[in-house]
Amino acid sequence: MTDAIRTESLSRRFGRTLAIDNLSLAVPEGAIYALVGANGAGKTTAIKVLMNIFRPTDGSAQVLGIDSRRLAGKAFQRIGYVSENQEMPDWMTVGALLDYYRPFYPQWDRTLEQQLVRQFDLPLNRKLKNLSRGMKMKAAFASSLSYRPSLIILDEPFSGLDPLVRDELIEGLIERAPETTIFLSSHDLAEIESFSSHVGYLEQGRLLFSEEMSVLTGRFREVTVTLENPVPLPENLPSTWLQPQLTDRVIHFIHSGYQDQASELELAKIFPSARDITFDPMPLRQIFLAVAKSGRLRTSSQPAHTSAEGTAA
Amino acid sequence: MKQILHIFAKDARHFWAEIFLSIAITAAFALFYPQQWVGPDHIHGVMGNQGTVGYQFVIAGQILLDLVPLSWWLLITRVVQAETLVGDRQFWLTRPYEWPKLLAAKLLFLLAFLYVPFFIAQCALLAETGFSPFAYIPGLLYNLLLLTVIVVLPLFAVATVTSNFARMTLTLLGVFLGIFALQASVQHFLPRHFTGIEGTSYTGQGLLILGLCLCAAVAVMQYALRRAVPARALLFGIPALIVLCAPLSARIEQHYSRVDANYPAAATPPVQLAYRPLAPGMQEWETYPDNGDVVIHASLEGTGVALGTVLVPDAAKLEVTAPNGFHWASNWQETAAPKFYAGAEGSDVTVAMPHAIYEQLKAMPLTTRVTLALTQAKATSVSHLPLPRQDFSVPGFGICAPLTGFYSPFSQATGLICRSVLRDPPLTYIGVVWSNAPCNLPRPESDPGVQGAGWAGSLDRAPADPNISPVQQVNFNLSNGSRSGRNGESRYLCPDSPVTFTQYERTGRTQASITIHDFYLPAVTTSNGETHVIINPTTTTVKDPNQH
Repeated sequence: MTDAIRTESLSRRFGRTLAIDNLSLAVPEGAIYALVGANGAGKTTAIKVLMNIFRPTDGSAQVLGIDSRRLAGKAFQRIGYVSENQEMPDWMTVGALLDYYRPFYPQWDRTLEQQLVRQFDLPLNRKLKNLSRGMKMKAAFASSLSYRPSLIILDEPFSGLDPLVRDELIEGLIERAPETTIFLSSHDLAEIESFSSHVGYLEQGRLLFSEEMSVLTGRFREVTVTLENPVPLPENLPSTWLQPQLTDRVIHFIHSGYQDQASELELAKIFPSARDITFDPMPLRQIFLAVAKSGRLRTSSQPAHTSAEGTAA
Repeated sequence: MKQILHIFAKDARHFWAEIFLSIAITAAFALFYPQQWVGPDHIHGVMGNQGTVGYQFVIAGQILLDLVPLSWWLLITRVVQAETLVGDRQFWLTRPYEWPKLLAAKLLFLLAFLYVPFFIAQCALLAETGFSPFAYIPGLLYNLLLLTVIVVLPLFAVATVTSNFARMTLTLLGVFLGIFALQASVQHFLPRHFTGIEGTSYTGQGLLILGLCLCAAVAVMQYALRRAVPARALLFGIPALIVLCAPLSARIEQHYSRVDANYPAAATPPVQLAYRPLAPGMQEWETYPDNGDVVIHASLEGTGVALGTVLVPDAAKLEVTAPNGFHWASNWQETAAPKFYAGAEGSDVTVAMPHAIYEQLKAMPLTTRVTLALTQAKATSVSHLPLPRQDFSVPGFGICAPLTGFYSPFSQATGLICRSVLRDPPLTYIGVVWSNAPCNLPRPESDPGVQGAGWAGSLDRAPADPNISPVQQVNFNLSNGSRSGRNGESRYLCPDSPVTFTQYERTGRTQASITIHDFYLPAVTTSNGETHVIINPTTTTVKDPNQH
């Protein structure tokens, strides 16, 4: 499987601020990749570098096999881009917007366009400037999906939308998923958890990890160890144990390298007097909070770059 | 081409109001601007019996003349910034736009809604004012080229590096203020004797071409790369560079002046110069008291100029030797001294001298050599005609009419008003015969009338001067238009009185000089903040005229 997006040591600096720091990631074709991180983490900058809106300060990025710095003109016939803060030609009606974009894309699917207009309940005769934020996003989605792009890039597409609109857009997106690669950024973990196949976590411009969603959720467990007698917390705990806490006879931590039986054996060895050990799966939100709070820049001994590469392979 | 037309059509739909406004202004300009010359209400009938309605049209025409480039500013800014090249949020950045096609679409828009309407308006204006547009198509196109270079291209370039109309406006204001500030500071350090000489300047032309290339480069660079910061640095560095280079270029040109090469001294000069001292003690108030220069006057008389020829002083040079051996020579300085021709009255040549030099040379008899760079011209055509009552055409010159109205009682003609196409007409000597009495009164047989004359036009023959209006009013003054000693009462140009237009053509350039002995520099005194100059503080004798 080839990569729809691949970056190598990508950096982007604004004056003295390093917005993206040595970002290396790979998004396999067909993936729904969610780049998550807090506001200001560098997600939008990363996407704008990919779209050749910004030029990288260092490193390189390939989008559909094209160097991002050469991404222009016809290359965008295969890419759909929707951003929460994109300036659209507000003076146009929705119908005029679709009419205007249509000739730019030889593969524009008029039937799909009509289907999306119906699905999103778009008012064709209303000017974009008179539409609500949700409706504008729907129009942007319709204008970016109607030509069946090979790659859809979405920058905070659901930010500030009501749940109904959000669900409609996600539904529209998922319908396109089998034929395309989707790369989206978000700071709302709950909204991407349900449909993303891959996830990357960006913090202060650095990629903390990048892997398949199932792998990520599979290796994170909330562990509770109940001991027979109170004991002090052992020193030199494995680096994959995040936020260890001891309360009387209960030890609580987050295991970032959970491996079924191996982890159980490991714990039994460290805590031979354990009366009970539970491994609870964690929602994405809790995983990210744990990673962020742990203050560790790596969840495993492997660097993020290697992790991302490994996932992509 | 499909994408170009598609973007063009989108812009045409979007900016219909701006297009309408621009075309309306252009059309109104073509309609009202000629009212000062044509129609029943033209300006020279304003204060006569014609009423004041026409005057309002004339004012409207003048206002519209200024509004036309302003409408271009609006149109260019709006269409360029429809796909703004500054910022990172524009919809088109991630759509399959190809920059050469986007640029072509914008140029097509300007062609369709700026150039074509303007060209049509210019043709209509020519036709309205009595000229055939078909005879001036090359000149009109050349004028469009000049306007592109001076107005359209800089506006286009600034629009590519600004994100909206407000920023564009502020940027232009900033640029203008910057230019004025730089010019003011440069003028402060640039004494007046460092003036350039028209027709011999090369660094100025070079800088202009450099500026234009950079404007075009900025526009293309922005479309191709969207690098606003370096583009701005480049664009706003242009005027600063040009202004900052102005004094340098002036100094370079002074040192490496091409005047001596372009104006070769002839074995037999076409004019014999003679010094004509002014009456001792003649005073004037120096108009440039702060720049450290003292203006030296030398009143010269020219004789021996062949009939049918005229000599136009373009530049003057002064060399001064003091009794103590101190010698100073000025650079060539542009001059607007009167022309030499058969029957001319003389010419007051002025040359600026640095104040420090003046202090060393003042109040002593000097040996002074004045050299003039002269353009020679000969008469190529002469038109004699009785003065018509209405507009009349002078071939090769333009269209003229008796000037009546504003200062003229009883709708009597008190002068001529002429218009030419695209630029000044060829250098032309206009001769008239004034009547002392109003034309509606019987003229005594003993009154033969008074000769009057004036010069109009220039010897420069570029196809056009950059101008919004293709029709220019020709500026000239006819001598003897009023009776001195009788409260300056007007004389009159009566119908059928003889009028002569003699047109001249450049034939060459040369030099002529004169050495004046015992020449005294003016006396300069300052009181109450004003500089008084006594031009001729003592009598200067001429010992060696006509020496070359």
